[in-house]
Amino acid sequence: MNKGTSLNNDTSENMKRSDEPIWWGLFSAGGVCFAVFVPAAILFIALLIPAGIIAPEALSFDRARSMLFSLPGLIFIGVVICLPLFHAAHRIRHGLHDLKLGKEHLNKRVTYGGAALLSALALVGFAVGIL
Amino acid sequence: MMTKKLSIQRYLPEQGNAPYWQDFDVPFDDSTSILDALNYVKEELDGSLTYRWSCRMAICGSCGVMINNTPKLGCNSFLREYEGPVKIAPLAHFPVEKDLIVDMEPFLDHLAAVQPYLIDDSRLIDDNEEGTQTYKQTPAQMEKYKQFAGCINCGLCYSACPQFGLNPEFLGPAALTLAHRYNLDSRDQGKKQRMAQMSREEGVWSCTFVGFCSAVCPKNVDPAAAVNQGKVESAKDMLIGIFKG
Repeated sequence: MNKGTSLNNDTSENMKRSDEPIWWGLFSAGGVCFAVFVPAAILFIALLIPAGIIAPEALSFDRARSMLFSLPGLIFIGVVICLPLFHAAHRIRHGLHDLKLGKEHLNKRVTYGGAALLSALALVGFAVGIL
Repeated sequence: MMTKKLSIQRYLPEQGNAPYWQDFDVPFDDSTSILDALNYVKEELDGSLTYRWSCRMAICGSCGVMINNTPKLGCNSFLREYEGPVKIAPLAHFPVEKDLIVDMEPFLDHLAAVQPYLIDDSRLIDDNEEGTQTYKQTPAQMEKYKQFAGCINCGLCYSACPQFGLNPEFLGPAALTLAHRYNLDSRDQGKKQRMAQMSREEGVWSCTFVGFCSAVCPKNVDPAAAVNQGKVESAKDMLIGIFKG
């Protein structure tokens, strides 16, 4: 083991602030969404409607379309797609670190980059639908 | 009297490069601690066994060892708690010097890095009678940090921490808890200096909230809570920095 070198050297490189608060913030926000909104979405879309407890007309094409391409629809995309994506990316990145797979800076780019790309795709879809 | 088989990891660098396991049969009753058992081995069976100990009552923090792969203090773990043979090895994630003795120097360096003492330069400048006045603190102010002030520097949390195992540069649970403890102290003004260490990649942000540190802590200090409160502080510090420019 390294004998705790460089800990008391106050060079700017050593004392560099981590950018982790940004990813941790997105991870935390995504965690709340994963716990609260994603199960609710699954409950309605994947369980209650197919089971016939809620009438299928509740999500008829026209109704779904008008709900999605509106301000609540944008919020829905944020809390059910974008933030959970960053939450998952964070877990995958740290999982890779724990398994000693890949390189830290590359893993970061692939995981958060993937989350950003898929989020952008969802938002582009939203923009196309609303215009 | 009943006997128990103890498997102890030995390492004698002057005799060979590789560690090896040695078994001992030790008599025990309900009051025999692991430390008592090690003392029995040294006094009665093999005087060459080397380990640290001092107080026998979970105050000094010297006798930390891996007992069946879990970091524990030898003095407050008892042979009666274990079915079958008991495996004793030096604390994980530290360099082994001899038998159960590990090099605690990296751990002490990490503690020193967070400046774990009251920092209050204003008093030195204002007062010529430096250090002659006592600080005043209300019980409510003390309550804020008291839980995090119980650390005995035994190092068990470092052996428990998988992130410290992966990266020995990580400041680790005890050092970050101590930093948080002084940041919460109403008598202290050194938060800004400590925050720079805490906000590094190897500060609070190397923690992934595994929580095993808190599970093994013999003084119930709960380092995992302290480190994660430190994350909130570090994130707030970053936000404030962005708005201040």
